[in-house]
Amino acid sequence: MIPQLLGITLVAFLLVRLLPGNPATAMAGSLATPETIAAIEARLGLDQPLSTQFFMYLKNVLQGDFGNSWYTSNPVASDLAVRFPATLELISLGMIIAIIVGVIGGSISALKPKGFIDRITSSFATIAGALPEFWIGLLLIYVFYVRLGIAAAPIGRLDIQLPTPPNVTGMILIDSFLTGDMAVFRSAVSHLILPVLTLSIVLLGPILKMSRTSMRDAIDSDYVHYARMCGMNKKCVVEYAFRTALPPIVTIIAVYYGFMLGGAVLVEKVFGWGGFGQYAVQSVINKDYFAVQGFLMLAAVFSLFIYLVVDIIYMIVDPRQRP
Amino acid sequence: MRGIIDMERLKTTVPGNGAPITEWKRFLIFMRTHPSFTIGLVIVLANLLLMIFGPILAPYDPFEANPAVVRQAPSAAHIFGTDLNGMDIFSRVIYAPRIDLTIALVGTAISLVIGILLGGYTGFWDNWFSTLIERVADLLQAFPPFVLAMALVAVTGQKIQNVIYVIAFLNIPIYLRLVRSNVISVRNCTYVEAAICVGGSKTRILFRHILPNVISSALTQASINIGWAILMTSGLSFIGAGVPVPTPEWGAMIAVGASTIIMGEWWSSMFPGLAIVIAALGFALVGDGLQVFFDPTKRS
Repeated sequence: MIPQLLGITLVAFLLVRLLPGNPATAMAGSLATPETIAAIEARLGLDQPLSTQFFMYLKNVLQGDFGNSWYTSNPVASDLAVRFPATLELISLGMIIAIIVGVIGGSISALKPKGFIDRITSSFATIAGALPEFWIGLLLIYVFYVRLGIAAAPIGRLDIQLPTPPNVTGMILIDSFLTGDMAVFRSAVSHLILPVLTLSIVLLGPILKMSRTSMRDAIDSDYVHYARMCGMNKKCVVEYAFRTALPPIVTIIAVYYGFMLGGAVLVEKVFGWGGFGQYAVQSVINKDYFAVQGFLMLAAVFSLFIYLVVDIIYMIVDPRQRP
Repeated sequence: MRGIIDMERLKTTVPGNGAPITEWKRFLIFMRTHPSFTIGLVIVLANLLLMIFGPILAPYDPFEANPAVVRQAPSAAHIFGTDLNGMDIFSRVIYAPRIDLTIALVGTAISLVIGILLGGYTGFWDNWFSTLIERVADLLQAFPPFVLAMALVAVTGQKIQNVIYVIAFLNIPIYLRLVRSNVISVRNCTYVEAAICVGGSKTRILFRHILPNVISSALTQASINIGWAILMTSGLSFIGAGVPVPTPEWGAMIAVGASTIIMGEWWSSMFPGLAIVIAALGFALVGDGLQVFFDPTKRS
């Protein structure tokens, strides 16, 4: 994992240095003299050779310092710490819904191939892969906010007049629940519904498809036929097959979960979420070197972490994988 | 000399009809028995035709903003309505395949060719260079693709050809891995050993004997990925990091409509979005169909 982390840091660093424009010029403003720009460059270390800059950055990162964002003028680490939970809350809820519906729906359609549910799930799975998530978000806003008026306005995570609950986990839903502030909790739920629904529609497709294929293979395998021959009851056989069908499903869930942290950018944009993805967009547009580097690294590390968790889950569901 | 049973004829005939089945006829039968593949094929062909004839069929100039007809609902004159710049949405929707499909098709084609070559190389040669290529591909896939694409377009500048290169670049690892694993699975086959025995060079064996056997899965993956490329292109343009405005592009059109959908004007983002869904679905259906066509074990 260490070489991967080093590689990620290096790629993020080099890529961001290629961004056109110079943050020193942008920071100094349009009236700056060349001397001011040079002074700022010297302060940021931009006048040093690339290799020196990289090792300086690496040293700081190891000490938990990701540099300062010149745009928000906060340390990047604290900027990310505020936005990360917002996106995590969003994608986790979307994922949970997609997993529940997807795994159950996929398993049922595998048990009754060519049945009614199988037809619905397989057509949905095909269509879901072709849906642009930002368009789905807009359609949901149109139907549930503009037409029916039952969803909250698609701006931010809370009603503007409500106070943000004290920061415990950074996820408003959990924080407001812990402090017992039900008005905030309700507002948070109503703001979450549409973006979570959007994400779960998009995520449902691949999970449904994989659950169906994997469960189908498990049911068709020799040991399940054997279990059936031995006269085990249906519930037991299904449980038996489900356990062997799990590893590929876990993999696809992990791949999409790791990917969503940076992949929810468009949904965040549509709902004005102010999360991790929107921060990335804003940083790329503003040529905010340290912010983009911090984002890329955190997103990549998050995927690596998810893969680690997957390996552990594998060991739990599949005894052969245990050391 | 032929045996008692004419094996050659047996292989290529159906019982009762005697005529040999050509590849083309097999394809037609396949189309009849797999309607979703046929639907996908029709969608793809329609989109390709729009790519060529879209500008001729468009009733208005897709680049022209007419201040007199701003934000009009669909009517007989403007069947998809007009957007807040007074541009005719129908004209722009049918002009856009020229942009979106060009990016998706060319981008996918580039990554397919490079991915097949690199995949063949890394699968067939085991040296420090192939290890390096694999590691770089692994690293690229650890980054969130959308933000990486955004940053790369920002690095290279907002132009259509740069969007194409970025999409091609991000897709290479997918084909590389696919081709590599397929090459590894066939490189110890008897026919490869036979080719080595008769003195074929490594490059010749790769191109003449191995790649033709592994290429169909890469082609199938490409058809599925074209849909992904369309979604990526429109997503990039939606946040304003893709093709420059006012190019008629589906994602950019949805972005224009997004600002007025709160006021109940659904048409300016509805129609371009539908166009994306239909186009991406068409390529996905063709991809799924081709997978079954090339791999009879997947037939139901």
